[in-house]
Order: sequence, then structure tokens, then C-alpha cells
Amino acid sequence: MTATPASRRGGHLPRRLSAAFWFAVPFVALAVIWAIAVELSGVERRIFPQVTDVASAFAEMWRSGDLFTHTGASLRRMGLGVIAALLTGIPFGVLLGSSRVAAAFFAPLLRFSVALAGIAWIPFATLWLGYGERAVVFIVWNAMFFALAYNTMLGVQRIPTQLIRAARSMGTPRHRMFVEVLLPGALPNIVTGLRVGLGYGWRGLVAAEIIAASAGLGYSIFLAQKYFRTDIIIAGMIIIGALWLVIDRALLAPLERRTVERWGMKAVNL
Amino acid sequence: MRTLEISNLHKEFVDAYTGQTVVAVGDVSFSIEQGEFVSVLGPSGCGKTTVLNIVAGFDTQTSGSVLVGGKQVDGPSPERGVVFQSFALFPWKTVLGNVTFGLRMRGVPRADREAVAHQYLELVGLQGFEAKYPHELSGGMQQRLGVARVLANEPEVMLMDEPFASVDAQTRRKLQEELTGIFETKRPTVFFVTHDVDEAVFLADRVVVLSSRPSQVAEIVTVPLERPRHWRSALDNPDFRHTVTYLTDLLAAGEPNADESEDAPETSAAAGAVGEG
Repeated sequence: MTATPASRRGGHLPRRLSAAFWFAVPFVALAVIWAIAVELSGVERRIFPQVTDVASAFAEMWRSGDLFTHTGASLRRMGLGVIAALLTGIPFGVLLGSSRVAAAFFAPLLRFSVALAGIAWIPFATLWLGYGERAVVFIVWNAMFFALAYNTMLGVQRIPTQLIRAARSMGTPRHRMFVEVLLPGALPNIVTGLRVGLGYGWRGLVAAEIIAASAGLGYSIFLAQKYFRTDIIIAGMIIIGALWLVIDRALLAPLERRTVERWGMKAVNL
Repeated sequence: MRTLEISNLHKEFVDAYTGQTVVAVGDVSFSIEQGEFVSVLGPSGCGKTTVLNIVAGFDTQTSGSVLVGGKQVDGPSPERGVVFQSFALFPWKTVLGNVTFGLRMRGVPRADREAVAHQYLELVGLQGFEAKYPHELSGGMQQRLGVARVLANEPEVMLMDEPFASVDAQTRRKLQEELTGIFETKRPTVFFVTHDVDEAVFLADRVVVLSSRPSQVAEIVTVPLERPRHWRSALDNPDFRHTVTYLTDLLAAGEPNADESEDAPETSAAAGAVGEG
């Protein structure tokens, strides 16, 4: 029932190294196949670059500082959108989960909106907020909000009635129920919503930057296409994917480990 | 002094599926003295948990009154602490966090509440487990924590809803014995709901027998057993056996036709599942 902390945290250094190794193997394999395929097919470099071209594009972006400008811009917008989504989506979800009528009314709308969240709102975002920072942040917020609110609502609904009763019978005032019971009780589902929402948000960010920004990772790959710099496009794609892995592993996984896993509440879903 | 007084309690609800009015509690009256242990015994589905839920303030009666310390019950309150069958511990709180929860809600300073918590954790034999989380404890330990969590608030009455029904038979015996020990040292007032005749008799000063739905008080039986009590001596005691036999017969007579609807829900889906948050 309770795994030892060492095995949960990845354990000793050799085991962590071996985990990192096996995580890297498929990517190395992909790079090898890519290099061979480009070499054998003789495809024009402007159409699809060789591995070494992408590596030098990286180096070029590093030296010129573009790498940091674009990554910084993207992460800043992402951060703002995520904070806005957390501050709005979680309270809204808790509110819905606390009221049967509200939940019954809003649940179909939320499920409908999850499908449209983010990218489909770009036209409105630019119409209302113009081409720039605010539209991109809006898209990140919008992409995350519905998934986060919907999952939070589910989480609150799944808190056993007896837990809420126990809290009430121990004198918990209504205004403290949110922090003391509803939020921690719904956390397994909130984490699920966060994971799904961050995925939508990240993709929404890239798409919005292609259309509505003058800096950022999405913008950089879009701009590169104009100049047939496929090496930069691929480098940008790699950064986007790698940053997502970092967000998932460095933020979500530790959050899960310290809360729902530690409390024995890990939801069996996905 | 009467700590709990239930008079002509009556509860009806409308069944969500059939739309019919169901009488869950017919007419129930009894009282519990301060420092008394009363078991409420009845067949499954007789409405005994509904009575407890009304006393706890989770549910409201259709008519009749419930007085605790002379005051009308109005919603849940720490003066009526509840030990649940499902334990209902907070998974995100440590053992210490669970025990101090009620005190914290009432603004007791940290040092004071931790002192109280340690005293009650020791009482239930959980000293040394303060930093564990509930899922790391066995079922028996979890329910001991459930008891400590309620007693730490020093309630006027401790309400226990079939608290040992979800632990294995050996652990149950042990917990029952521990509960009598705690009762004998602390003398809380206890309202204990069960459908287990042996358990009702072993623990209680008096046993309130409810008839099947719509429930009424069939009889109130005083248990002629000295304290302290232990299972070994109780089982050999003719008074214990007599009381158990008497109550078993009483329950059998009250049963309409040995219809074993064991897990019949005690509160309706309609009444029991309404969200409270």
C-alpha cells in the first residue's frame, strides 16, 4: 500500500540516470532515423533540414539571443495565462460542484466549450484585444479555463458527503469549507484538469503567437517559414516539445507526488 | 441531567423515483443522561441512522423535537461530534492534523490544541503516529483516530453511526473493548447506532430498540452489567447472554417476514445525497 519514499522519488542516482537514459533512447533513435532518411532520400535542405543544420540553427539562435527572447516571451505569456486560469477556473469549478442546479446547468456548456477552448477563439481574441500580448494571454487562459473548471467541478462532486459532514460537525464555518475541504478534497481531479488544461494552453499559446505576436516560439517558427529556414522551424518545434516535457515533469509530477500521492488519494483516471 | 432528549421525532420524505411519501421515522422518543452510553438497535433500514443524522444536524425532522443540553438542534455543531462508519478522515491531513481539526476551526491556539490532541491520541493508542496520513493506518487505527478526533472537541454527546461495521471481526472486538475502556475513563455521553445485538449490549448502559420502518421505540432495555467490561467475562456472564437473547427475540418479533434486505439504504437517495457544500 505504501511504497517506500525512495522508490517513489526515483531513488538513488544510478536508477535516476538509467531512467533518464531510457527516456532519451527513443529521441536519439528518432534523430538517427531522421539523419539517415534525409541522407538517403536526398531531399532538398530547404524542404527538410538535416540534423546538423538544426543543431547549428540552435547555436545561431543561442548566440544571437533569439532563443532566450522567444522562449522568455512565450513562458511569460504562458505564466500569466496559467495564473489567470487557476484564479478563475478553480473557484468557478468549486462553485459549480457545490450546487447541483448550477452543475446540471453548466456541465453540458463546459463540455461543449472544452472542445472549442483556445485556438478557435483566436479570431475573437484578436478582434477584441488586438494583435499582441493580451490576445495571446487570453488564448492561454481560455484554453485552460474550461478543462480546469470542469474537472474541479467533478472533483468537488466526488468528495464523499461524509467528509463534508465531518467538517461541518467539527465547526467548520461555511466560508472556510473552500480552503479546508473542497479544495484539497477535489485536488486529484484538479491536477487532472491542470494537466489537460496546460496541454491545451501550451498548444493555444503556440497557435496564438503564430497569428497575434511579434515575438515568441510560435512567432519564430512562423517567421522562419517565410525565409525557408526549415532548420529554425524544427529547432523551434523541438524547444516547444521539450519545454512541455519540462513543465510536465518539473511542475506537475512533483505537485502530484507531494499531494494526492502522499495522501493516498491518487485518482484512477486517464 | 438529560444531555439529549428526543421527543416524538417523525420524518417523512418523498422517494425520488416513485414519488411516494415514505415514513422513515414513525414516532421516536427517548433521552440520554449525561455520561450515559445508549445503543440504538434496530433492523437494517429501520431509520436509526436517520435519527442519528437528525441529531447530528445533517437532516431535519418533519416534526418532533431534539434537544441537546436543553437547546433545540439547528444544523451540525461540534457539541455533537460524529464517528462515521466510513471513518470520514481527511486524507490530506496527518493524524495530528485530523485530531486538531475541530479545535483549529474554533480558533484554539496551536500549542493548546496540540496538547489536547496528544492527550487523546494517547487515549486511543495512537501516540507516535502523529505524522502519518490516514491511508497509512489500518482500518482499526483509522477508526480510533475517528474517535479521538471527536473526543478532542469534548462534545456534549458523541454520535457513533455503526462505527465498527467496516472492520474485520477480530479488530471489531478489540475496538469495542477499547471503546468501553475510553468510556469508563472519560465518561462521554454516547449515542451509538448499531444492528449488532452483542455490540449494543456489550457497550451500552441502556439499549433503545427500534421497530422496523416506520420506526417506533419498541422497548428500552437496561443492561445489567458492571463496568469495567471485557469480552471474556461478558460472554461467560448469564446476564449478558440473557439480555442478548431477549433483544434478539424482540428484533425477530418486530421483523415483518425475515425479509433480508440487508443493505437497504437507511436514508433515501433523495434525502441523503443532497449536496451540502
